[in-house]
Amino acid sequence: MSVATNMLVRSRLALSRDVMQAFYRLLAAALLCAVLAALSDVFLTMNNIFNVLRQTALLFLMASGLTLVILTAGLDLSVGANIGLSACLAATIIKAAGSPMLGVATGIGCGALIGLANGILVTALRIPSFIATYGVMWILAGITYYYMAGDTIHGFPPGFRQLGSGYLFGVPMPVYVMVVFLLIGTLFAQRTVWGQQIYAIGANSIVARLSGVPVERRLILVYTVSGAMAGLVSLIVLARINSAQGDIGEELTLPAIAAVLVGGTSLFGGYGTVAGTLIGALILTLVLNGMNLLQINSSWQPLVTGIIILLAVWIDTRTRRIGE
Amino acid sequence: MTAVPLFELRGISKGFPGIKALDDVSFELRAGEVHMLVGENGAGKSTLMKVLCGAYRADRGSFFHNGKPVTINDPAAARKFGIAVIFQDFTLVPYLDIAQNIFLGRELSGRLPGLIDRRRIHAEAKRVLEMIGFDIDTRILVHRLGVAQQQMVEIAKALSQDARILIMDEPTAALSDRETERLFAIVTRLKKNGVAITYISHRLSEVFAMGDRITVLRDGRKIASVLPAETTPDRLVTLMVGRPVDSTYTRPSRPAPGDMALEVKNLSGPSGLADINLNVRAGEIVGLSGLVGSGRTEVARAIFGADPISAGEIRLFGQLIDGSTEDSVRRGMALIPENRKTQGLALARSVADNIVLAGLGRLFPSGIYIPARAIKAARAIIEKLRITTPTPRRPVATLSGGNQQKVVVGKWLNADARFFIFDEPTRGIDVGAKAEIFRLLDGLVHNGAAVLMISSEQIEIVRICDRAYVMRDKRIVGELSRDDLTEANIVRLGTQQ
Amino acid sequence: MNARSLALQTMSIARVPGVAIVLVVLCATFGLTSPGFATPANIANILTQSTILLLLALPMTVIIMTEGLDLSMGAVLTFASIVFAVTVLTTGSPVLAFLAALTVGFCFGLWNGVLIAVLDIPPFITTLGTLGIAQGLSLLVTDGQSVVGIPHSIQSIYSGTVAGIPLPVIIAALAYCGTHTLLYHTRFGTYVFALGGNREALKVAGISVRGLLIRTYVFGGLMVGFAALLMTARLNSAHPTAGIGMEFDAIAAVAVGGTSFERGNGWLLGTLLGVIAVGVLRNGLNLLAVQSSAQVACIGALVIIALFIDGLRAEP
Repeated sequence: MSVATNMLVRSRLALSRDVMQAFYRLLAAALLCAVLAALSDVFLTMNNIFNVLRQTALLFLMASGLTLVILTAGLDLSVGANIGLSACLAATIIKAAGSPMLGVATGIGCGALIGLANGILVTALRIPSFIATYGVMWILAGITYYYMAGDTIHGFPPGFRQLGSGYLFGVPMPVYVMVVFLLIGTLFAQRTVWGQQIYAIGANSIVARLSGVPVERRLILVYTVSGAMAGLVSLIVLARINSAQGDIGEELTLPAIAAVLVGGTSLFGGYGTVAGTLIGALILTLVLNGMNLLQINSSWQPLVTGIIILLAVWIDTRTRRIGE
Repeated sequence: MTAVPLFELRGISKGFPGIKALDDVSFELRAGEVHMLVGENGAGKSTLMKVLCGAYRADRGSFFHNGKPVTINDPAAARKFGIAVIFQDFTLVPYLDIAQNIFLGRELSGRLPGLIDRRRIHAEAKRVLEMIGFDIDTRILVHRLGVAQQQMVEIAKALSQDARILIMDEPTAALSDRETERLFAIVTRLKKNGVAITYISHRLSEVFAMGDRITVLRDGRKIASVLPAETTPDRLVTLMVGRPVDSTYTRPSRPAPGDMALEVKNLSGPSGLADINLNVRAGEIVGLSGLVGSGRTEVARAIFGADPISAGEIRLFGQLIDGSTEDSVRRGMALIPENRKTQGLALARSVADNIVLAGLGRLFPSGIYIPARAIKAARAIIEKLRITTPTPRRPVATLSGGNQQKVVVGKWLNADARFFIFDEPTRGIDVGAKAEIFRLLDGLVHNGAAVLMISSEQIEIVRICDRAYVMRDKRIVGELSRDDLTEANIVRLGTQQ
Repeated sequence: MNARSLALQTMSIARVPGVAIVLVVLCATFGLTSPGFATPANIANILTQSTILLLLALPMTVIIMTEGLDLSMGAVLTFASIVFAVTVLTTGSPVLAFLAALTVGFCFGLWNGVLIAVLDIPPFITTLGTLGIAQGLSLLVTDGQSVVGIPHSIQSIYSGTVAGIPLPVIIAALAYCGTHTLLYHTRFGTYVFALGGNREALKVAGISVRGLLIRTYVFGGLMVGFAALLMTARLNSAHPTAGIGMEFDAIAAVAVGGTSFERGNGWLLGTLLGVIAVGVLRNGLNLLAVQSSAQVACIGALVIIALFIDGLRAEP
């Protein structure tokens, strides 16, 4: 066995090492909490903790679908713009039809359709995913701005707003949604045949196809799920800020990608977990929350997120790509 | 052996972490001589050549050029002594033309500083190509050339650097018989010009046809250096393997073939396949032979569903299949591709994951995946095929080559495959292990499976198969029954104009 | 005969470049639907306005040929233009400002190149990060406000003419010729083909792949710095969101022009035609009073159509 394969393999040996990785990440998150608690007395207030939880939940929900896409060695850059269009459409329906249920259906449906379109571009037209979703991102942004024409839609029924701002047994609603999808996501990825096939596609899509895995159908599935999750997130955001405008969700794309990568999922596919993404979302939220508390200009946030992504990919490259 | 060798390596040793690739190997190159280098996979042939051309630095040993001690630390130094290599994977840039490829890295400067003189480059390239008798427009982009033509460009590239020592690694692996003859003619011409040629080959027939001297490596050591007249293929094989080899394989008598396993009617595909008709019955090993490029792999992929078809029908065990790999696998078809490592295994995944990948549907009909059951199924296969691995959870990349091959086959056993398509099953397999592969195939059909075997080695098709189809230019041009199955007939059908 | 070859035959596009077809179709459509489209003044307008995009699309072609991508061009363009404006205002010297803009482009190009070539981080992630960094810097430096008060001498760079030809067009023509020479008549250009087509060939020839890659992105950065000059001159101000998204137009132009995203196959003339196509599309949509945001959607659709045609023609 060559030197190179040796090194590639050393980074993957044994289940216990993955558990260690997750542990280190949790440790990092805990450390962040400690540091922030020391630097700011606002950090440990109930209000802020709920804020962090809510934001983590939001980020995680979006990043969970994205995790599946990245597991197949793909990328979905359109999630932020997806949120924008889905939110605006859902908002319109809620106001027009007066029905939150219809609005929810619209939001998730719109998100799923966009995801489906992404999937078709990647499988049928064979456009590399980062190009296809990049193009779709621009198209969606264009459509959203055109449609909203600078207006804002606001004032949604209180029942609907519960989704974003409500509490259940003292815990913010989004946290429950987060836990539900954490379970669903983990079970899907680790305990279903489809999940195993998705890992296989990411590890080597040629072998997967030659082993009877319906690669195209699974890819369309993951992009659709990613889109649907974006649709779900758009509803929660709507419910939380009680208004919709053209640029909603734009700022969530980079942090979502960062959350997935920081959570240990490899950009090159075949490796990573949904639970890891949760930890990644937590760490990212803590960083951004901390920046807010320390009153650092919010213009720094995209910058910091960008650097975090670069660091995460660099570490990923070092440990996994040496073998190639 | 009167003259001093043109180039000499003495006592070369080279190690990598955990492996001693070369151990005190000495090697001579003489002008105008073809020196064949043979040995099993991992014997050190490629490593030795890489040391010679400066790609690797030896840990110990010395170099001599015309008797004078010299050092080679990098490719540039090797080039200075006129050493040129032609690798198996060509180093040609697809969207540059022939002339640009020949002069890559050594472009001739034009009048203005920084600019290159394209006219001169083309003129020089033309000149070099004429030297090897290759007449072609140097403005053609390299990606349009066939494999043999690309090889000519590689040779021209080497010659344009005034190569006096030419290293060729398995040059005929992808060539047809006719193209191989053309290559031999060029080699002979180079010999006459005093070029020293080193040639790594697995094909013993070539070794004896073209070689003036043969060196055998085994486990990093030089075992023997002999003249072709002094030895025989069998004795070479024994030296390569280190023990008397049971390369005698006799086809067992097989019972009469059973039910129709595969029936292909009027198959046509976008890659040029036209009107393919063939069938395979349970208990048979049917060969599919023909020259490289005749369409055999395309037929395999079309049958398996990896490529779309434009016309025709395929029946597996009497049922029409829908043309997707998912359907084929579910019905019990298996495809073991030529490049087993990159197309048969997901290297970063565990042994167990690889073994169960094709059989996920069968193992878990409810769609719910239970790791314990997967490990258990994997262990069963590991035991059955005697795969060496401490645990099924290790990445399959940690296994040795031979064990990796077993995992590929194990994957299909786990999927309950009853029809196997093997594409070049003995490609890259050590001579000593080939008989084992044949016995594996025997075992499969003995249990009632059916096998379609693609092979470029006519001799193997004759030895193992019950009958064979011959392809030419993307069509089936003949079927040879057991009595007519001879190498001569295969070649005759495959090359007729 | 299967569907694919039937489609190819019907469209008779097997030999004509897709971008040429697209260009003709666009011109015909707008010529028919908008009376103001086919006038000399409007055509001059299109060409002039396309020059900035061309300065971005030329190096983008080279970068895409190396199987890379530069998503940060728009953001770096914006930041360089802000630096230019600020320098001109504080020092009063256009030359110094120009050098400053070039330096900004150079530094970001170097940053991209080093991360991609030395640290092995995939290009789209690297440049995505750079995009965020440049955007953040733009916002921080300007606090969200435009930089105004630029001397008129700068503006004349964009509006001036030489022998009746707009100055920007001359600059663009020079840039095109320069890039053409670079790509087809220098060693660097030859090696660029190898970067995308077969990097092993370079390694075997002893050429440093890393150095080449870095130089590719630095080339991009310098051209962006150049383009910043034109953009600031055109807008007569610098705004933190001015150039955002231009890299998308540049990538669209390159893709429509026929340069593929793998295999090291590039066509500079195609990029030129692609830039004009994008320019025509934007101009035509403007005349039809279509909003800028919807225009982006159309450009996206254009890219998809171009890639689809490309995919139809690619060998299976």
